[in-house]
Amino acid sequence: MVPYLAQAGAEATVSTGEAVAFWILGPLTLLGALGMIFARNAVHSALWLVLTMLSLGMLYLIQNAPFLGFTQIIVYTGAIMMLFLFVLMLVGRESSDSVVEVLRGQRLAAAVLGVGVAGVLAGALTRAVADVTPAQPLNPWTAEGGGAGGLGRMIFSDYLFPFELTSALLITAGMGAMVLAFTERHSKAGKRSQRELVEARFRGEYERPSPKPGPGVFATANSVATPALLPDGSVAPESLSELIESTSAAKLDTARKQVAGEASTPDAHALVGPDKEGETAE
Amino acid sequence: MTNVFLAQADIEAPPIDYAAILPMLIILGAACVGVLFEAFLPKHQRWPGQVTLSLLALAGAGVALGAYAGDSPERGVTTLSGTLAVDRPALFLWGTLLALALAALLLIADRSVEPGGAFVAQAGIAPGTVQDREQVGSTGMQTEVFPLTLFALGGMMAFTAANDLLTMFIALEVLSLPLYLMCGLARRRRLISQEAAVKYFLLGAFASAFFLYGLALLYGYAGSVRLADIANATAGTDRSDTLLFAGLGLLLVGLLFKGSVGPFHTWTPDVYQGAPTPITAFMAACTKVAAFGAILRVLTVAFETTNWEWRGVLWAVAIVSMLIGAVLGLTQTDVKRMIAYSSIAHAGFLLIGTMALTDEGLSGTMFYLLAYGFTTLAAFGVISLVRDSTGEATHLSAWAGLAKRSPLLAGVFTFLLLALAGIPLTSGFVGKFVVFSAALSDGMAPLVVIALVFSAVAAFFYLRVVVLMYFSEPAPEGPSVSVPGAFTTAAITLGVVVTLLLGVAPTFALDWAGAGGFALGS
Repeated sequence: MVPYLAQAGAEATVSTGEAVAFWILGPLTLLGALGMIFARNAVHSALWLVLTMLSLGMLYLIQNAPFLGFTQIIVYTGAIMMLFLFVLMLVGRESSDSVVEVLRGQRLAAAVLGVGVAGVLAGALTRAVADVTPAQPLNPWTAEGGGAGGLGRMIFSDYLFPFELTSALLITAGMGAMVLAFTERHSKAGKRSQRELVEARFRGEYERPSPKPGPGVFATANSVATPALLPDGSVAPESLSELIESTSAAKLDTARKQVAGEASTPDAHALVGPDKEGETAE
Repeated sequence: MTNVFLAQADIEAPPIDYAAILPMLIILGAACVGVLFEAFLPKHQRWPGQVTLSLLALAGAGVALGAYAGDSPERGVTTLSGTLAVDRPALFLWGTLLALALAALLLIADRSVEPGGAFVAQAGIAPGTVQDREQVGSTGMQTEVFPLTLFALGGMMAFTAANDLLTMFIALEVLSLPLYLMCGLARRRRLISQEAAVKYFLLGAFASAFFLYGLALLYGYAGSVRLADIANATAGTDRSDTLLFAGLGLLLVGLLFKGSVGPFHTWTPDVYQGAPTPITAFMAACTKVAAFGAILRVLTVAFETTNWEWRGVLWAVAIVSMLIGAVLGLTQTDVKRMIAYSSIAHAGFLLIGTMALTDEGLSGTMFYLLAYGFTTLAAFGVISLVRDSTGEATHLSAWAGLAKRSPLLAGVFTFLLLALAGIPLTSGFVGKFVVFSAALSDGMAPLVVIALVFSAVAAFFYLRVVVLMYFSEPAPEGPSVSVPGAFTTAAITLGVVVTLLLGVAPTFALDWAGAGGFALGS
């Protein structure tokens, strides 16, 4: 058994360079972690976490564990954090935490207990490793030293079974994603051919055989919220998508008036378009 | 330098005792084949194919286990570089898991009680949408449930046999991920089912993080993740005890969470209520076996010498668990939640046997797991039969006067509740008896007295349901009792027969449970 915490008593010292690097990277790591918790914006949180992970990766490199350091940077900051950002972009970065407390006093209790646990762990760990002499520097070129070769050796000898067992984990994750995301609609069987669709339309399965009219496109607006006009100049309500619920009614009314020619005619010399007025009117 | 290193690339593959681990390999292999079935079989053949494959896999694993257990070495073997220990307790727990999984699989496969099965046809369709209303009438189901069940079972088997903490962690994830997923696949009440899945997933991930943190601290303490090495390290005195006990504490949080013990139980009622009932049955029976199997192994193999330091904490945990289970169980109005709180109380009783660290404690706890697993599985099977137009009628008021509608079902459920309460002639009584007597002989008399008090309190809410079923007038618009198909009938019958057999003639199972201890060598 290799005594990692230097119970062997071999003297090794921390070099000046290592100490300097630690005192620069350590606070940065902590700063990133705190920033992640306290940032209001989810994207900022993710970026703070990137800072923490990069600093950790650098720390590993300085500790003579190049493989671990690069894995940390490539896998965590490179792959996982970018996935994280993708998801945030898909969900929408505006979606923020709810500030409503479902259970009264929950946040305060959580904060007190969380800080308490962190304090206990930090205190205990400080005491536990206070009088431990630093371990011998790792030699990444040996099997025990944290290099890729040594790691590979362990994966295929000592830890063969856990390594193989992770395949079950990956299969489960892949299948789970498909179960939760896949619907027949996306498969070949779920799609109608063009002919079937036309026949279904004329059989009356849909409200009307033809597609709905598109939105109006005018010199004054290019928004899909702008209604199309019928030959007599009246607004065609079908041309407005029901899905656009986020468009406020006031704005829509202004646009309708504009299209119908009821609004005040825009001043050709004005620097600001009438759209602005609609927005300020909200 | 690099050349030198690459030149010594002659890695010796670790010796593998295939006979010993064959049951687990069969289950995991069948799970992989099941995934291929999903990919290549046409839709209408998937359900029969998956059911046949899963049942065959369970039978094959059982035969392999029986063949190996007959002449397995007394002290057990460790294989795959000491990452797996196949010893007598592991074999007993594997047998228990396979038998419980068989019954759970029958419940999962049933398509007669709920037309098309308890699982949604397409989980990808958002609940409440037009497409979702369309698929209500369809009789398909997500047949991926079968390979997922097998993966979870394989993970549980690896979990109970894991001889180092790293293997244990990965097995923990392998058993948890499919369960998180399956919790969200209910056909009825999909939103509450998905909520249960998200809750279980988030809290489970949190508990896994605790486990991992504890693992890291223990590695810092012992310089190894092997249970035997940690045991050796605790024999020395020059190391920091802080790392040891902080690590053990965090590790136990992760393990106790899985066993739904005491203050780490908060997920249990919500998840048991929201998950499809066959999955609840599978979770309640098999996860508990796996979690307590792992706790037994960790405490016995790695931390036996330090038991004076941690035993006090586990005393408190066991008392809190029994208190929460028994007292909050009294206030429940939903049958599934009531059984969930009962499982928390039972986890407290199990923890008492786990703490004993004697041969009697080990065999008693394992017997209790076997007995409790079958009883609770059959109970959930019965719950799935009482239905009204919206699905299962789990509210207690709907169960009023059920004995007048269906005397047989009320009788079976009464028997199971009596077993959960620990009345003589049921397996619950024998289980409590062996666990408590092991604890008594190990000097835990005060704890046993407390446990007896809480057993009495818990018995009250079981009896309340019995009284409700027999002595109340049935509600006019009450639920009807479905006539179960062959699969559900078989599962419930299996549970009831085992509950009765273990209560009347427990000697065989007790002998098998007490056949030998954990393999201590690395």
